[in-house]
Amino acid sequence: MQFLTRLILLPLLLASGALMAQQRYTISGEIKDAGNGETLIGATVTVRGQGTGATTNEYGFYSLTLPAADSVLLEFSYVGYQTELRSVSLQKPLIINVELSSGIQMEEVVVKANSFREKARSVEMSVEEIKAADVKLLPVLLGESDILKALQLKPGIPSGSEGTTGLFVRGGGADQNLILLDEAVVYNANHLFGFFSTFNTDAVKDLKLYKGGFPAQYGGRLSSVIDVKLKEGNSKKWAATGGIGLIASRLTVEGPIEKDKASFMISGRRTYFDLITRGVNSANKDNANYSPIPDYYFYDLNTKINYDLGERDHLYLSGYFGRDVFGFDGDFFNFNFNWGNATGTARWNHVFNPRLFANTTFTFSDYRYNISNKLTGFSFDLGSSIRDAALKTDFFYAVNPRHTLRFGAALTHHYFQVGRLKAGNRDGSIAFSSGQDFNGLEGALYVADELDLSEKTKLNSGLRLSGFTNGDRFYANAEPRVALRHTLSERLTAKASYARMFQYLHLVANAGVSLPTDIWYPSTDRVPPQRSDQVAVGLSYLLGNQYLITLEGYHKYLHNQLEFVDGARLFANNNLEDEFAIGRGRSNGLEFSIEKETGKLKGWIGYTLAFARRSDFKTLSPDRPFAQQTPFRPIYDRRHDVSIVAFYELSRKISFTATWVYGSGDLRWMPSGRFTFQDVEGGSFQAVVPDYLDRNTFRLPAFHRLDLGMVLKFYPRRGESDLTFNIINAYDRRNTFFIYLEPEFNTVTDAFGNTFEVPKRIAAKQVSLFPILPSITYNFKF
Amino acid sequence: MNRTHISIAARFMAWLAPLALALSACNLEKEITIELPEYNARPSVECYLEAGKPFFLLMTKTAPYFEDFPTLDDRFLQNILEDSATVVIRHNGQEYPLQNRLSFNPFTGKLYNYFSAVPVPEDYEHDFELSVVTKTGKTITATTRLLPRVPIDSVVVQFAPNDTLARVLTYFTDDRSQTNYYRRMLHKSTLDSIPLQDFTVDDSFSETARFVFGTNYEFAEGDTIINTLFHISRAYNDYFDSVQTAFFSNGNPFGQPSPIQSNVRGTANAIGIFTGLNYDRVTTIVRR
Repeated sequence: MQFLTRLILLPLLLASGALMAQQRYTISGEIKDAGNGETLIGATVTVRGQGTGATTNEYGFYSLTLPAADSVLLEFSYVGYQTELRSVSLQKPLIINVELSSGIQMEEVVVKANSFREKARSVEMSVEEIKAADVKLLPVLLGESDILKALQLKPGIPSGSEGTTGLFVRGGGADQNLILLDEAVVYNANHLFGFFSTFNTDAVKDLKLYKGGFPAQYGGRLSSVIDVKLKEGNSKKWAATGGIGLIASRLTVEGPIEKDKASFMISGRRTYFDLITRGVNSANKDNANYSPIPDYYFYDLNTKINYDLGERDHLYLSGYFGRDVFGFDGDFFNFNFNWGNATGTARWNHVFNPRLFANTTFTFSDYRYNISNKLTGFSFDLGSSIRDAALKTDFFYAVNPRHTLRFGAALTHHYFQVGRLKAGNRDGSIAFSSGQDFNGLEGALYVADELDLSEKTKLNSGLRLSGFTNGDRFYANAEPRVALRHTLSERLTAKASYARMFQYLHLVANAGVSLPTDIWYPSTDRVPPQRSDQVAVGLSYLLGNQYLITLEGYHKYLHNQLEFVDGARLFANNNLEDEFAIGRGRSNGLEFSIEKETGKLKGWIGYTLAFARRSDFKTLSPDRPFAQQTPFRPIYDRRHDVSIVAFYELSRKISFTATWVYGSGDLRWMPSGRFTFQDVEGGSFQAVVPDYLDRNTFRLPAFHRLDLGMVLKFYPRRGESDLTFNIINAYDRRNTFFIYLEPEFNTVTDAFGNTFEVPKRIAAKQVSLFPILPSITYNFKF
Repeated sequence: MNRTHISIAARFMAWLAPLALALSACNLEKEITIELPEYNARPSVECYLEAGKPFFLLMTKTAPYFEDFPTLDDRFLQNILEDSATVVIRHNGQEYPLQNRLSFNPFTGKLYNYFSAVPVPEDYEHDFELSVVTKTGKTITATTRLLPRVPIDSVVVQFAPNDTLARVLTYFTDDRSQTNYYRRMLHKSTLDSIPLQDFTVDDSFSETARFVFGTNYEFAEGDTIINTLFHISRAYNDYFDSVQTAFFSNGNPFGQPSPIQSNVRGTANAIGIFTGLNYDRVTTIVRR
């Protein structure tokens, strides 16, 4: 701890010394897209010939302090955009806002090589980024472009069961991912049990996933941070983007409210299964033997407004609302199951001076599910929810070109409704109810320092102090963060990081599958916060100008991991904590990738070798059982994971994509024995009942799949459109969704003519999710 | 947007959508060969004590999941039953040895391989202790107590408005001074049929002492409804739930498997239940 303290204080001491040198002035401003006014995240401004530079932060703001000079040549660049040069005289602080034009350029290879070089030189490690434009090219299930599914193609980010969007990052559970949409937390980013995510790719500007080396401004989850930024809206002109697919359609409209000052974006998507099924139901309504097909649909709506309040202030308002609705309406019985998220963000950027920038955000998040069931005279309502209101502020202080300080604070109020059940008849003579409500307060203070120790060595150190209380217990914890980058040569960079994270919210869920009925539960007097300590080391190598090779190893210790007792009762249980067992975990692995971003053929190959285990679980309630005494592996302990992604641009009008994935099968808890259960009079005799012993000892068959895509682009007089053809599972591989064991029976007749079923054998049956699946989507933009 | 492009896309999708759905519905299940973890067979015990009735105990052998089932010949019972054990039940200073003999209860249709004709004493104050020594010298022990009967207060039949179907409401009173567990069964016509309802519940579910179980409007006039309310122990509640969970987890991708929660202990590593059983049963014929 002493070493870490010195590591954190060292940069501050160096900073104060540096300031005593020659006269220096700061150049600051925003870098935006000239076509639509969107801020560019990670754009670079460098001093030509010197190598000194800065990059824009996630709000598009940069700050660069240089010695006074009569003439300084600044180069503004960003991948996919034309580089702009500005010559300035630096005799006082300057604000230079730049708009870069997109388009293919002669120096594309150089720009992309520089992008790789920046990635290699960045002290950040264990980070994956993906561009919305690339996501749209990837072949996807039923043509629905999905940014979270695209992330699962990156090393270290395996999915749950096939087709679903659950993320199990570096051996962590599905609840250990902090998903932020414009800084508001999204608690359940899944539609249709995880087959689609809640992110409409048309509305997303940027997505970054941290698997380790977490910057100090992030906290609250152990295994990953997925930071999704929405587009701000085109401040130059009106534009629309959309698509019509097999199961859903989407439309995004954006435009200026006041040119170059204010803009809006509104983006929606909806499925239309229910329109077909309602038509079928309506056609059969006079058929007494007809059973109506239940309704199902989902929708998403993203909105954003941004307003320039002046040179120093910018205001953003954004919101998201999405729902899955499943319903059935009959004469005596109706059933409604709906779930979804709502988020809201109000954000204010303020530039105090060229070196000091602040972002203050108020966010609101709500996730809830509700099941209601009405019989004649009787009703049943079950639901859970979590609602947050949060206020946070972040400051960026560019001390000098080699030294950036970041600090801030956050406070979140959580309101949990856990397992709320109400059932009864109309006259109140029958009444059941259960459920618990909790309030929680979570806070954090952090400071982080990014410092160039030398030309070759960069250090990012930080400390986050976090705390949580729900009234009966207060937890306070320190979370040190350190990341180091050392340039071994022009092409070879070594990195290392350490991060401690705490998580105060826990997901009460089945381990392998995302279900909308999963419940968020707070840390309490009996349920301690989860903790992780992760160490990662890595190497990046720039091969030529086109290839970036990355090798990274990690080791993660997990404490206070939650599992459920044997036979846990998770529904309508007022004492849910009695169903918990707390234990430890460990995971480690190696991740390798090679990326190519230039030329007609682009893409990446990723490979992950990973191990995860859990052990030493103790139940919170002494009379609840947890039979597993030996260490075991969680079901998402996937040993090998390979992904190969290729984009080939045949011409301006035709491009092809292919993805091939391979993964060791997940683990399952299968029975090893069987017994016969006779039961009491009136009960059902069961000839074959599984006898489950050790957890998760059976590995499913490996899965692999090839997906192909082709995009045909059209360039009419106005706008752009394309037809995207996908073939998912091109060689019709029947991957395992789950396995069950089915007894087969012989019918035997006795001497008295009685017949009974006698078991003959047990057959293992594999169920797959989908065969070869073609789809087509029409996309347009104008 | 070009009209030709839209036309192409619309025609393609009109053809592709049903094709995609049809493809997705075909042949997604197949038999495969797998190897399950190693398994050592152990005894499985079921013993339900009913006051005034003989002692019955069934002890069978578990088996590795894929092991061949015994053929239906004269060795069939020998292959599935765990015989030649010494079984004794002790209660309030008395010992009740059970003979290893095949017994068929004609009233319940159940089979047992350990039996004593001495009736179970009606005593709710003292424990019953099970002691088994298998033929290989392994032990099985368990303890239980009889629970008093909780009577069904009333069964009410209600017909749906303007319909010929009725529902059945079953009322009983819970003792709020302690935590109670119940098993509720509902049969139509005969106890040999598959129960329409069969579940366990504890009494934290209700806000009042007056409990009611209901049904859908599914019974026609003249139907015979058999309501059974068992007052059960926590151990039996957990055992029965775990058996149901294990049974239904197979084949359910969203299920959470669970080991069988037995109240039997000992060196035989047995599974099973040793419990008192007390119930009330009311038969109702649906009438307006």
